[in-house]
Amino acid sequence: MKAAAFEYLRAASCDEAVAALAGEDTAVLAGGQSLVPLLNMRLARPRLVVDINRLADLSYLRRDNGNVVIGALTRHRAAETSAMVATDLPLLAAALRYVGHVSTRNRGTVGGSLAHADPSAELPTVAVALDASIRVQGSHGVRDIAAPDFFVGPHETALAPGELLVSVSFPVVPGAVSVQELPFRGCDLVVVAAVAVEDGICAQARIAVGGAGPTPIRASAVEEALIGRPVTDAVIAAAVAEFTCDPPDSLHAPASYRREMASVLTRRAIGTAVHT
Amino acid sequence: MDVGGLIGARVSRVEDVRLLTGRARFVDDVREPGMLEAAILRSPVPHARIVSVDVSKAAALPGVSAVVTGAEVKAAVRGPQPVTWQVIPDMFHPRTYALAVDKVTYPGQGIAAVAAKNRAVAEDALELIDVRYEELPAVSTLEQALAEDAPRLFDEWPSNVLGRTAVRTGDAAAAFAEADVVLSAEFRFPRQMGTPLETRGVVATWDPFTDRLDVWLTTQAPNIAQAAFAEVLGLPVGRIRVRTPDLGGGFGNKFDFYGDEVVACVLSRRTGKPVKLIEDRAESFVATVHSREQKVDIEVAARADGTITGMRGTVYGVLGGALGTAGLSPCWVTAASVTGPYDIAALDMNLVGVATNRTPYGSFRGYGLPKANFVHEHMVELLAKRLGMPAHDIRRRNFIKQFPHQSPVFVFDSGRYEECLDLCLAAVRDAGWERIRQDARARGAAVGIGYSFQNEVTGLGPSRIQTFAGSSHSGFDEEVVRIDSTGHVTVYTGLSAMGQGIHTALAQVAAHTLGVPLDHVTVLSGDTDSSPYSGYGTGASRGAPLGGAAVRTAATRLKAKVLRIAGHILEAAPEDLVITDGVIAVRGVPGRTVTMADIGDAAYRRLGGRLPEDETPTLEEREVYDPVNVATAFGCTAVLAEVDRETGVVTLLGYLIAHDCGTVINPMIVDGQLHGGAAQAIGGALSEELVYDADGRMRTRTFADYLLPSAAEVPPVAISHMATPADHVPGGFKGMGESGVIGGGAAIVNAIVDALPEYDLEITALPITPPRLLALMRKGTGR
Repeated sequence: MKAAAFEYLRAASCDEAVAALAGEDTAVLAGGQSLVPLLNMRLARPRLVVDINRLADLSYLRRDNGNVVIGALTRHRAAETSAMVATDLPLLAAALRYVGHVSTRNRGTVGGSLAHADPSAELPTVAVALDASIRVQGSHGVRDIAAPDFFVGPHETALAPGELLVSVSFPVVPGAVSVQELPFRGCDLVVVAAVAVEDGICAQARIAVGGAGPTPIRASAVEEALIGRPVTDAVIAAAVAEFTCDPPDSLHAPASYRREMASVLTRRAIGTAVHT
Repeated sequence: MDVGGLIGARVSRVEDVRLLTGRARFVDDVREPGMLEAAILRSPVPHARIVSVDVSKAAALPGVSAVVTGAEVKAAVRGPQPVTWQVIPDMFHPRTYALAVDKVTYPGQGIAAVAAKNRAVAEDALELIDVRYEELPAVSTLEQALAEDAPRLFDEWPSNVLGRTAVRTGDAAAAFAEADVVLSAEFRFPRQMGTPLETRGVVATWDPFTDRLDVWLTTQAPNIAQAAFAEVLGLPVGRIRVRTPDLGGGFGNKFDFYGDEVVACVLSRRTGKPVKLIEDRAESFVATVHSREQKVDIEVAARADGTITGMRGTVYGVLGGALGTAGLSPCWVTAASVTGPYDIAALDMNLVGVATNRTPYGSFRGYGLPKANFVHEHMVELLAKRLGMPAHDIRRRNFIKQFPHQSPVFVFDSGRYEECLDLCLAAVRDAGWERIRQDARARGAAVGIGYSFQNEVTGLGPSRIQTFAGSSHSGFDEEVVRIDSTGHVTVYTGLSAMGQGIHTALAQVAAHTLGVPLDHVTVLSGDTDSSPYSGYGTGASRGAPLGGAAVRTAATRLKAKVLRIAGHILEAAPEDLVITDGVIAVRGVPGRTVTMADIGDAAYRRLGGRLPEDETPTLEEREVYDPVNVATAFGCTAVLAEVDRETGVVTLLGYLIAHDCGTVINPMIVDGQLHGGAAQAIGGALSEELVYDADGRMRTRTFADYLLPSAAEVPPVAISHMATPADHVPGGFKGMGESGVIGGGAAIVNAIVDALPEYDLEITALPITPPRLLALMRKGTGR
C-alpha cells in the first residue's frame, strides 16, 4: 500500500493551482483523508498531485447575504466548532459530528468531502438537503453549481478538468435539525433533516438521504407532504411513505434492508427534529 | 487468593510508560544498514493453475534487487511449510511452500516476491509481473467442497475432506436410546480473524558467507519460529537468531509461522542484504490466518429432570487452501470441549477437516473454545425451555462438581462453578439489571439479560502429552532469574511481550518471591540468542501460569542462596533471616542487616570473606517448568442488551464477568485482558465477518468492510474475581488471556433472545447483524 509515483506541486496561489490542474491526470490534495488512502491503494494514480494546503485564503467561514459561505480548505473541525455554524447552520454542525473521528476532522476539509462525492457521506447530503451552491474556479474564471447538479454519481462531480472547488454557500434555513445514522456501519446510510414548525404546522422542511442511491437524494416528496400540515406521527408516517429509493446491496446489508432503513431513519429524523 | 505482597497487587504496568510515550520499538522501526524492502504478489483468483510467471520486466525495473517466483523459493528451501499440530495422524497434510508453485488454492496466496530499494518500488515491480492463470472452479464454501462432484483442491488427494476423527467417551448410543428428551441444532460460525493494530512483519538478514540468519519477527513464539526456519531453510537452530521487539498485539495469529518470513529470508540470501517485509492492512485480510469458521451439528440427550446424559454430532472445520501451522487443531479443540463445564457421561463427536479455496485456518484468541461454548450454552437454554426449567437450574444440575475431573480429553484440575455462577448473579443483582429490564419492557423497549458459563483449558501444557496429541512442539517453559552486582534483578524469558503485560506480571512474581521492590526488577525477552527456551511460546493462555511458575521456582531457589550468603555475612542462620524491600535482616535483631546490593557485590566482585567457600560466584537460577497438567480457568458472563425492533440494531447496555483464574498476579492486567476479549466477543457476535463473493474472491479488504466494534459499541465491562488456585502449578496461577472472548457470544445472543420473548428466536449463526436479526424476527412471526 504505497502510492505509485506522481509529481507533486505545492500551489502558492489559487491561480497556480488552477493552471496546474488544467493538465492531464491531476488530483487535488487538501486534507488527504480520502485521497491519500486512494493513492496508497493505487486506486487513484494521478500524474500530478496539487497540494492546496498553503492556500490560506481558501480557509474561512463568513456570512454573506443570508448564506454561510465556507472556504474549501476549511477543516471539518473548524466548521463543527464554529459559533456561526452552530447558530446559522445547525444541520451542518450536527452532521459533521458523524464524519470520521476528531483526528479525521482536524485534517479533513469541507471542500474535500464535497469533491470526493461519496454518496453516503454527511457533507454532500447536507449540501443536497440545503440546496447549497458550490463555487468552482477554472481558467475561465468562477462558476456556481447547485449541489443537486454538482453530484453526478458515486465519486463523480460536475467539476470539469482544470477546475478547483473553492467554496460552498449554504443558505440559512429555519427549523430544528436531526441527523440519523444506524450504529451499524454496514448499513452506510445518513438522513439529515431541518424542519421548521410554526403553531404545530410544518412551515419548511429540508430532508436528504445519503447512501440510498448514486448521489444523495433530496426527499422532496416527503417535504411536500409535510409542509402546511400538522406534524403528527400519522402525517410524518404518511409523508415518509412518499419516499422511494433504490439503494444497492452493501457488503453487510441487502438492498431491501437499506431501503427500509432509509425510511425508518427519515421518519426518525423528522420526528426528532420536530420534537426538539 | 490474596497472598499479600506484590502477587495480587493492582500495580501499573512497567511497559506502559514506554508504550504510551512512543518509545516502543516495533519490527517496522528496525532499519538495518543497506536494507531492502520487499512486497509479495498475491493471487486475486481463488483457484487456478499457474501457466507462467514472467518476472523479466519487474527484474529490469531500476531499484529492484531481486525477484523470486514460487518455483524458485521451493528450490531454495529444504522443505515445505510446517504444520505444527497434526491432530489426526492419517490426515492428508498437503505440502505447501512459502509461495504457490504451480497451483493457486486461495485468493491472496503469494505468487512471486520482489526486493527493492523501497516498498513503493517493490510494489511498482509487482505490477510488472505477468502471471497467466488457468482458472479452475472455486471451491469456496463447505457445501461446495463436500458436493459429490466437487472440484478437488489437491491433485494428490481424492477428496476435499483432508481428515476425519472422533472424540468419544462413554456410551453415547445408549444415552440417546434411553433419553427422555433429545434436542438438536445446527450452528454456523463465520470466518473471522484477529486484527492486531500492528500487522505482521519481518526483517531478515541471511549472511551469505557465514550462513547465519538473523531475523526480526512479529512472533508470539520465537523458539517455534526458530525451529521452523531451521526446518524449512535447512539451517542448524544455533545459526538462527530470532528477535522479537514490541508487538502491537498478537491475538494468536502471530503465533503461526508464515511463508512470508521464509520469502524474506530467501530474498536476503539472494541479495546479500537485509530484507524487510511488512504486511500491509489490505493484504492482512488474505495473508494472515483466518479463524472460527465451522459448521457444528449437535444433538443432546437428557433426562426429564434436566440431567444431560449425552452429546453427539459433527464439527466441520472449514479449512483453507493450505494448512497453517495450527492445522485442524482449533476445530479439534471445539469437538473436545463441547461438553464445557458440564459433567456429561457420553460424548460422540466427529471432526471433519474440509479444504476450501480460502485463506488458511489458524490461531485466534479462544482457539476452538468460543464455538464450543456457544454450542453448549445454546443447548442448555434450549433444554431449559423444553423442560420448562430455569436455565441456571440446568447449569447447576450438570456442573462438574468433583475435581480433578476427567473430561472427554482434558483433566480439569479444579473449579467452583456454582460459586462462580452465584458471584455473577450477585453482580447482576447489584447492578439492578432485573429492574432495568422490567422498566424497559414497561415502556415497550426490548431489553434482555443473557448468560453463559465457560471453562477453559489454560497453561498448555504437559510436553509428553503434547507429543502424543500431535504437536511437534513441547509445552514447557524455561525462565532465568539473575541478581546482579548492584542487587537488582533481571528476569529472562522466552515469552513475547505483545501488549499483554507479561513483563509486569513476571516482575511482580520475581519481586514478590525475592522480597525486592518492583522497580528493582527488569524483564528481558525477545531474543533467542539470550532468552531461555519457551517450548510453546506465548499462546494457549500460558504466559502467567508457566512463566509465573518458572520464575517463582527459580526465584525461590535464588532467594535461598541469597539467604545463605547473607547468613554468612551476618553470622546468622538463613532460616532466621527475612528479606523486605531488598534488605535482609535478622528476625528480632533490629539493625543487623545487609542489602541485596551487598549480596550482589559479595557474589560478583568482592567475594573474599563474604561469599561462603562452598558457594559458586554469581546469583542466577534457571528453571525449566513442564506442567503435569493444564490449568482450568472458568467464568460466567452476563450481558444486558437492548434490541431496536425496527432496525435490528443491538445495543449492549451492560457486561459483567465473574471470573476465576486461580491466583491473580495483577488484577488490573486480568481485567484488561477480559475487557479486550469481551470486545472481540462483541465483534464476533454482532458484526465481524470475512466475506467471499459468489466467485470465491475476497471482498473484505479494509476496516470499512471488516466491522470491528469501536469504542461506541463496547460497553463498560465489570469484573468480579474469585480465586481457586491450580494446586499443581507453583504459585497456583491459571491462564486468562483468552477468557474474555470465549463466553461473550453465547451471553450476547442469549440476551437478544431474552429481549424478544414474543419471537421465540433461535439464533444459531453468527454474526447476528441487524439485517439478519430483523429477518429472523420476521421469519419467527411469519411477517
